[in-house]
Amino acid sequence: MSSLENELKKLIIESLDLEDIGVDDIDSHEALFNEGLGLDSIDALELGLAIRKKYNIRIDSEKDDVVNIFASVAALAEFIDSEQRAA
Amino acid sequence: MQSDFILSKWSVWPPLPLQPANPAQWLANVPPMLKRRLTPLAKTVFCAVAQCLDEDVMVPAVFSSAHGELTKSLSMMEMLEAGEEISPTGFSLSVHNAIAGLFSMAWKNKLQCTVLAPGEEGMAPAFIEGLGLLQEGAERVLLVFYDEPLPAFYPSSPYRLSSDTSCALALMIAKSGAGQALTVSSSASTGNDGEQPVQLPAFIRFLTEPQTRLTFCMPRRNWSWEKRPD
Repeated sequence: MSSLENELKKLIIESLDLEDIGVDDIDSHEALFNEGLGLDSIDALELGLAIRKKYNIRIDSEKDDVVNIFASVAALAEFIDSEQRAA
Repeated sequence: MQSDFILSKWSVWPPLPLQPANPAQWLANVPPMLKRRLTPLAKTVFCAVAQCLDEDVMVPAVFSSAHGELTKSLSMMEMLEAGEEISPTGFSLSVHNAIAGLFSMAWKNKLQCTVLAPGEEGMAPAFIEGLGLLQEGAERVLLVFYDEPLPAFYPSSPYRLSSDTSCALALMIAKSGAGQALTVSSSASTGNDGEQPVQLPAFIRFLTEPQTRLTFCMPRRNWSWEKRPD
């Protein structure tokens, strides 16, 4: 597991108040929304804000492929990594 | 106006003296993904409702709160003033019908929910709404009254619109059946007995003590509740 993935798991747990869940409980390739971790649309907005604050990366719902970016921790890490390289 | 109804069941949080106070017991059935969204005020409401309503029962509900989640709204306005972005979750949980929404999800209650901010009329409008639903044919209606102390930012004196403690009161009312028979009525004499947060403790005393009549005088009229003999 990359350190960015680990960092994202911590960010997800803290920003979304997932009190009973630990970093080890989140599988990097598991779906974040609906059936997987069970996050909902408000969580997507909250996570978008947390990523903007922490990495200064704005996820644009018009321009970016939001569904795939938020598909899993691994997908999110890949997106952030590519944005950071492009910056 | 005068109307008769039955108070089938009621509950309050925090509990009355000598009653057990274990919020975990009353929140145990709330799914974890919903529980994380409960503010302190929402937890107070859920603890009262859970004692009044079985999990698998659907019932139309009327929620009444003078101030709702004003504490949360104020903290967000302070964040905006400081130039910070506000939390989407925080915003969604600050609106006046947020707790009713969480209630309908937690109890899977698909019947109608009404949320009132009754202002100077205090507790009475929720009864009008609930009695209207009974009149329309509902077998019973859940009334939920809740408020927490106003943040110190807002002037509470000389107005009578805040109390020192958070409180939630749940009443299950029905047209007939077992329970305490009550009549609610209004008449013209006016006064200033305060808004809902001030009225709640007096209403709870009315339910627990032998007094047969309770009257709140409001700026435009007064409202009375009277216990009828069985």
